[in-house]
Amino acid sequence: MNNYILSKKTVVNDFATFYSFLIGLFIAIFIGSVILLIQDQNPINIFSLMIKLSVGSINSLSSSLNKAIPLILAGLGISIMNSVKLWNIGAEGQIFLGAIAVNLIYINTEIYNSTLFIIVLLISGFIGGSICILLPAITKVFFGVNEIITTLLTNYIIIGLTVYLVNGPWKDPKSLNFPAAAYVGDEVYLPTINGKLSSGFLICILFTIGAYYLKEKSVFGYEMRIAGGSAMTALYAGINAKQKTFYAMLFGGGFAGLAGAIELLSQTHRVSIGISQGFGYTAIIVAAITGMRPLGIFLVGCLFGALTIGGTVIQTIGVSSYIADIIQATTLIGALVSQFFFTYQIKEVKNG
Amino acid sequence: MNKKILSTQNITKTFGQIKALDNVDFHLYRGKIHGLLGENGAGKSSLMNVLSGIYQPEKGSIYINNQKQNSLNPDLASKLGIGMVHQEFRLVESFSIKDNLTLSKANIYIKDFEEAFNKYSKIFSLSANHDSLVSELSVGEKQKIEIMKLIFNNNKIMLLDEPTAVLTPQETNQLKISLETLSKEDEKTIVFITHKLKEIKEFTETIFVMKNGQMVAKDLKTKSVKDEELVTLMMGEVTKSAIKKDNKKGETKLKVENISLAKNVIGFNNLDGINLSIKAGEVLGIAGVSGNGQVELANIISGIYKNFEGKIIIKGQDVSEKGVKARKKLNLSYIPENRLGVGLAPGVSILDNSVVKEYFNASYGPHLSTKKMVNYLNLLVKEFSIKTAEPKAEISTLSGGNMQKLLMGRELISSPEIIIAAQPTRGLDVSAVEALHELIISQRNKGSAIMLISEDLDELFKLSDRLIVLYEGKIIKEFNINEANTNNVGLAMAGVIE
Repeated sequence: MNNYILSKKTVVNDFATFYSFLIGLFIAIFIGSVILLIQDQNPINIFSLMIKLSVGSINSLSSSLNKAIPLILAGLGISIMNSVKLWNIGAEGQIFLGAIAVNLIYINTEIYNSTLFIIVLLISGFIGGSICILLPAITKVFFGVNEIITTLLTNYIIIGLTVYLVNGPWKDPKSLNFPAAAYVGDEVYLPTINGKLSSGFLICILFTIGAYYLKEKSVFGYEMRIAGGSAMTALYAGINAKQKTFYAMLFGGGFAGLAGAIELLSQTHRVSIGISQGFGYTAIIVAAITGMRPLGIFLVGCLFGALTIGGTVIQTIGVSSYIADIIQATTLIGALVSQFFFTYQIKEVKNG
Repeated sequence: MNKKILSTQNITKTFGQIKALDNVDFHLYRGKIHGLLGENGAGKSSLMNVLSGIYQPEKGSIYINNQKQNSLNPDLASKLGIGMVHQEFRLVESFSIKDNLTLSKANIYIKDFEEAFNKYSKIFSLSANHDSLVSELSVGEKQKIEIMKLIFNNNKIMLLDEPTAVLTPQETNQLKISLETLSKEDEKTIVFITHKLKEIKEFTETIFVMKNGQMVAKDLKTKSVKDEELVTLMMGEVTKSAIKKDNKKGETKLKVENISLAKNVIGFNNLDGINLSIKAGEVLGIAGVSGNGQVELANIISGIYKNFEGKIIIKGQDVSEKGVKARKKLNLSYIPENRLGVGLAPGVSILDNSVVKEYFNASYGPHLSTKKMVNYLNLLVKEFSIKTAEPKAEISTLSGGNMQKLLMGRELISSPEIIIAAQPTRGLDVSAVEALHELIISQRNKGSAIMLISEDLDELFKLSDRLIVLYEGKIIKEFNINEANTNNVGLAMAGVIE
């Protein structure tokens, strides 16, 4: 009698993740089309409209890329944390706390050089994100508390804090009862490239390269990989696994916090509950689809930004914007399933 | 009169290419205490797992109460009265004693639970109340509950897999009395598995010995059998090696002074006043059944464990307070017993794993050079003829032998002055073992001081210049290699010193 077992492939295909992403995307477009057909819409028309209105002009392309910034930054944070095999579900909260930190520093300090001020505020955002994950990091390192639970729950605390701030101490009297903090002055707006695209996108490119270097080319990244692979091996190699875990978590939170800062300084210009539209959660999808590769996160982040814009614009012709969400989620499922077939093979085992 | 309650014929069970059980004949007498002796991996636990229906043998037959059982499963085995206490307890920690004892639907004391519990508490001298949670009990008490569970489930045949491994000497004595009472008063048939000679002589009435999956002796009367005879049966004959031991010894490289480790955490074995030293060009073999402190000793010398008493001196420097990296810098290499999990990180690439020892040599400040890493891996692959997949593939895609070659190559390529090698060839095929032995000898000839921890006497006799036997955390005996033989080493491993 012969048995069949699953075994890991010995040959690694560098493009496996990319192929599985394409397969996932294909499946997602197919399912999206079926849903559109059920609604008596022509999928080809709808999709070409989405493409046209999201990347068809410099203007729309800029909007798409602006939407991609928080997805990419938070996704990179998730990917860094995953080097030690941890999941950051708290990017959403970290985005909010990043923005809150920016506003806190903004209303309490006065720096007359606006470039310097902007840099200080961006750093505050990064630190804000790190502070947001501080408690999960401490409980993880010292007591082994599951970070998935703690980072997720921190989101609710931070969003609660945001609601409190914009309805209470920070409430802008001029906002006509809309719960929001006062606008920041235009001296700290992030400059734009050709009028629309935020210079945050350049920061994004910089941080993508930085995250790639940190993960793949640095001693720290190596130590994170070993610590994530086996705590005992880290101990054996003289690597302080707890320290690496701690820093990886703070970095992860910081990246998402920076996303919040950029959102505030280039898009919303004030703290409100609308700082993030679920970017922290979508970033998890982006990071997972790409197998946690920084470059992939950058590309898929851009695509998902465009999808979000595309979803918004088709609302105007009466198609639900949720079609974009459906495509994002199905791409993830499709990609993960096909990744499985790229990394495993079915082997025949002879008995006896 | 002796009545057979259970017997097996020609039981064969294979795992992959390894024959765990090879035509095993075995039998049990009603109401007797049987000893089953053998080294680790001799097949004792596999046989017990077959009898309790967990493993299905490929060949052979099992008779219980003279009835042939064709398809034994755990449920059926339990109905037929066979119960087993595994080395790892199977209790629900968050349940009370009572809930654990009455968990199975097979339990026979439902209405008269209190009465039965009081009776058996006395037999086991268990002082805990039956409402206490199992998680609050000591290891010894948990084991009592495990054995009581068999009684409550009406198991007439009780298979106890190394029950004394977790017990203190006092608890062991207590267990002996309890088991004797059970066999006399309740006519329980008991199988007592161990590799400790002293215990098998004290506990049992008749002894079975296994080696390499075979039953090498059956039904030896405990009263009349000699220790030497049991050791020879258990260990087999050891071939004397052809490797010359007359190489030059140099100065002392490693000195261990009065190392002690208290047994305070579960899962750790204690060490008690260990003193040893190894010279350049010398192989010191550490013999002993696993779990007698070998892993702890190796981890203390390499710097992984920090909470110990005593001194570690490497090349004249006291490094007791120093960490792993400082000891590596003094040219110490450690090949841990646990290949995948300690020596190599699972889920991480072959390339990453190949530089665990010296990754800082591939770095410029915070930058890690992939090129240097790849060169290093290629060097290892060439030097130690490792059959490897792509560098980026996961380490687990390598075969066991190649994994071990990569690990040993990584630790040996820089010609370390001190080498701690724990079970370097366990579970590998003959050709891999031979290659790794040659590596160790060539390191010895280059002047390394080598500590070789092994359970394989062949290997120890072949490679060592001197032998130390660890038993329950102590050096129970030291041998020069030409005065060591299976008998005296085997007896020392079993805790017997004449």
